[in-house]
Amino acid sequence: MFRFALRMAAHRIAALLAVACAVLGGAALITATGVLAESGLRSQLPPGRLGGADVVVAADQEYHVSGDLPIALPERAAVPAGLTARLAKLPGVTLAVGDIGFPAAVTDPHGRLSPVTGEDPAAAGHGWSSAKLLAGGARVEGRAPSAPAEVAVAATTGLSVGDRVRVTANGRAATAYRVSALVHAPDAGIYFTDGRAAELAARTRTKTAGATRAGTVDLIGLRTRPGATGQVASAVRTAVAGTGLRVLTGPDRGTAVAPGAGSARSLLVLLSGSLAGIVLLITGFVTTGALGVAIAGQRRDLALLRAVGATPRQIRRLAAAQSTAVAAVALAPGIALGYVLADRFRSLLVHQDVLPARLPLTFGPFPALATVLLLIPAVRIAARCAAWRTSRMPATEAVAESRSEPRVPSRPRTAAGLLLMAASGVLSGTPLLQRTALGASATSIAGILAAIGLALAGPALVRTAGEAAVRRLRPGVSAPTWLAVSNVRAYAQRVTGVISPLAMAVVFVLTYTLAQTTVLAATADDTRTGTLGQYRLTAAALGGLPTDTLSAVRRLPGVRAAAPVGTTTVVWPYRMFGDTETESAAALILTPAARDVLDLGVTQGSLAGLTGATVAVSGEVAGPRAARPGARIKLFLGDGAPVEAKVVAVYDRGLGFGPVVLSHDLAAGHTTSALDQSVLVRTDGTATAERALTALTAARPGLALSDTAAQGGADTPPEVWVNLAVIVVLLGYLLLSIANRLVAATAQRRTEIAALRLAGTTPRQILAMMRREAGVIAVTALAAGLLLSALPLVLLGEGLLDRPWPAGPVWLLPAAAVTVIVTAYVTIELPTRRALRVPPAEAVRVGV
Amino acid sequence: MSATATDTARRAPAIALADVGKTYAGGVRALDDVSLTVEHGTFLAVMGPSGSGKSTLMHCAAGLDTPTSGSVRIDGREITGLNEARRTELRREHVGFVFQAYNLIPSLSVEDNITLPLRLAGRRPDQDWIRTLVERVGLSGRLHHRPAELSGGQQQRAALVRALAAHPAVVFADEPTGALDLRSAHQVLDLLRALVDDLGQTVVMVTHDPAAAARAHTALVMADGRVVETLHNPVASQLAARLATLGDR
Repeated sequence: MFRFALRMAAHRIAALLAVACAVLGGAALITATGVLAESGLRSQLPPGRLGGADVVVAADQEYHVSGDLPIALPERAAVPAGLTARLAKLPGVTLAVGDIGFPAAVTDPHGRLSPVTGEDPAAAGHGWSSAKLLAGGARVEGRAPSAPAEVAVAATTGLSVGDRVRVTANGRAATAYRVSALVHAPDAGIYFTDGRAAELAARTRTKTAGATRAGTVDLIGLRTRPGATGQVASAVRTAVAGTGLRVLTGPDRGTAVAPGAGSARSLLVLLSGSLAGIVLLITGFVTTGALGVAIAGQRRDLALLRAVGATPRQIRRLAAAQSTAVAAVALAPGIALGYVLADRFRSLLVHQDVLPARLPLTFGPFPALATVLLLIPAVRIAARCAAWRTSRMPATEAVAESRSEPRVPSRPRTAAGLLLMAASGVLSGTPLLQRTALGASATSIAGILAAIGLALAGPALVRTAGEAAVRRLRPGVSAPTWLAVSNVRAYAQRVTGVISPLAMAVVFVLTYTLAQTTVLAATADDTRTGTLGQYRLTAAALGGLPTDTLSAVRRLPGVRAAAPVGTTTVVWPYRMFGDTETESAAALILTPAARDVLDLGVTQGSLAGLTGATVAVSGEVAGPRAARPGARIKLFLGDGAPVEAKVVAVYDRGLGFGPVVLSHDLAAGHTTSALDQSVLVRTDGTATAERALTALTAARPGLALSDTAAQGGADTPPEVWVNLAVIVVLLGYLLLSIANRLVAATAQRRTEIAALRLAGTTPRQILAMMRREAGVIAVTALAAGLLLSALPLVLLGEGLLDRPWPAGPVWLLPAAAVTVIVTAYVTIELPTRRALRVPPAEAVRVGV
Repeated sequence: MSATATDTARRAPAIALADVGKTYAGGVRALDDVSLTVEHGTFLAVMGPSGSGKSTLMHCAAGLDTPTSGSVRIDGREITGLNEARRTELRREHVGFVFQAYNLIPSLSVEDNITLPLRLAGRRPDQDWIRTLVERVGLSGRLHHRPAELSGGQQQRAALVRALAAHPAVVFADEPTGALDLRSAHQVLDLLRALVDDLGQTVVMVTHDPAAAARAHTALVMADGRVVETLHNPVASQLAARLATLGDR
């Protein structure tokens, strides 16, 4: 049977090429998504500055949800400092270092910042003993810092031993230091004496009450005797049992280097999760479509096989075997392409600063395996379904019908299609209820659902429309037009097979793109109208703003108000429909002073009360999570600390400012860097104020001033780029498959074209007829695509922008229209011209 | 060589071939300088074993294909040298076709199939004529059916009406009974003969069935691209014997 299937396949290369392309593209997309998912789950950062530690003890930077993937906690959680001495006593441990990291930056003698390339400025400062955790053999030039005013710096800073420098550490005003040593290691930072480091990082117990992290370290690194790592690790596990701390060895150590990277990893999981849905939908749609066309083209062969004694089962097995053979050939290059695609995608993410450049992808065999396990059964089932009707018919009838198509579209199929379209309509309402990016994503899903509904209900609809058109045709209409309309009516299934993917492409492009741009516009709108401060002051190069910046800014002439603004992540479990839902959310960190620089659109309560353990929440989450002013909610902060906070305000502009605002007091001590990330400044708008701000910025190296108005529009969130890239790739795949399908469908009409020519149709009339069919197909696909996207897009506009149309580029629709028309025209015209080159008498003979 | 007719017409012969040769790519000589005249109102059968050139002869004579050399005239009009579009127009005006595989357009009803060539030519169908033909072939109740809903014999009769709808100068039938059972084949052959005898049509039929050929006025026997014998009022047994000797060679 299999040999037979291959023989038959060899005769139908054109149609099966479409199947091969569909499988190849699908395999590439699924594999790429799989690689991203696997990397999100298993990829490890290199151990970096902990390369020399054999065992690392660090806090668990994950929030564990039963029955779901853990949520990454991006803010560093502390480890008790006292543990270091206890672990040092364990047998086999040669060195135990309690590592602390804090914001630090070095200014060279000329007042220029010397960048530390190996580490994030927010955690570049360490005690000298941390340098011993660098991967073995880090060369030290000079001697260890021994006085409080001495530092060792990474050689990459370009400084020399003995240089007089100024160091801005943990927000304190720049102080004079002497460089005592250069550390030659790519991951080196800035090293103080251990005592000075603990003092700067506010970890000493004698410090003021505000020092919430007193008596803690970030992590503990252990060096062991050669070969004793495993034994030490298990001893340490026993020692820390019950504390929730994690003991890491080997490649796992990378997770302890920077907790923020963990959240980037979980972003990969999130991204691949959201991609998987659309990728599987489109791959399934494209592959089953291509198979349907390929099997339809072989209907006569299959019918003849029935006539010579093949059982219906054998026919279906033959169809499945043949498709499997084709799919198998296409899978290998497709999967290979998928790995390449995933790597390209990673580059894009790194380029958009969504992913740390150091995080590698994990290229394991699982994505390939998953692709095979998903695609092969899908192809087999689709092929069996496509061959179902032909296989079940009495043999003689099968031969007789093999030249036309099943004429009556099945009722359940039509009903299922209409039901899907109705469901899409219901789903379209989501943005009205939920004014969030998640709510907007329902728009694209609704669109795709409707397009699949069209593919199912299409034959019945096209037939009805075709019949109406034939009845309406004026008697004097030209023969090619009359023929074209008759064909559309009689071959409703074939025509729908071509219209529905085109319509889907239109729906996909419109809903997916416009959902992105509309969210973007609404977000930008929220941010723009909500941001009262004209200037934003940041100090990323210093790891955060020095503590005296805020008061210095407030003293400047013309400055009306200034308030710190930070961001972090919270985990908020809440009850919904009797289940506990756990989500991580971006959160702003504000003080009551923020009222003067931000207008969050507060509807209940006031930000004035944003002190102590308090939060403000957006209206979208306040309702469903019972978080009205006065309510107490339970949250987990970015370092995993559980807190209970009182809601003091509910605001409207959740799209622009996120669902939660934490009070500065609540977040204090629970962020990796204790410094303010930015200060928003509102001035009287005069040039004097601007000059004063500019002068302040210039006088303090590492500070950066930006205009909030200019920022709003240009600052496209990276997710939008990522989504647009996904759209382009998927659209390419969809268009390729559509082109393939159209070419195959037209090529299969050779006999029909030849018969028409024998009946006296001139080549010109054939071309005219085919062009009119292409026209009907293009226009119907466009109209259907527009119609199906209209409701979701109108509701999206209503929900997010309070107007019945979405925001987005104006050229999108014309571009989509031109693409559809050109695709339909080219893919029908070229195969028709080819068919016309064969003398009709010959074509009939060969085709029969 | 000429096929004599019962009445000598003053107009030009329906088909006139002069020294027609056809060589296919690769050097296969399918027709070797064949000359042939078919007068109006005659029924000519072309016989011969497979590969004898009978199908090529028909394709060249009907303007479906162009000969490599020689001249072909249909109802007095020279068709060699015309392009595909011109030949198609000439065909649908002056030539009707009936094929072994019927070649009805499956998407069109029987009625639409019958009027298709006229519609393509932009001509108004002669309703009385078509009604006469439809009644004559016994398809009156079937006009709104699709071809797939008809039996093979009915489809072939519909194809016959389509071939005649435009009052063609000549009807070419290529193995018209090849796909039919004996009864349907008889019906179709009777119809063809009646068309010639009663309505003065001209029919050229290619067949390898001696019984079918015996219904014609004249039978040509072809071999190796040439006409090797012409038999007037042929008898089936005689034709069968002649074909058998060709098969032996």
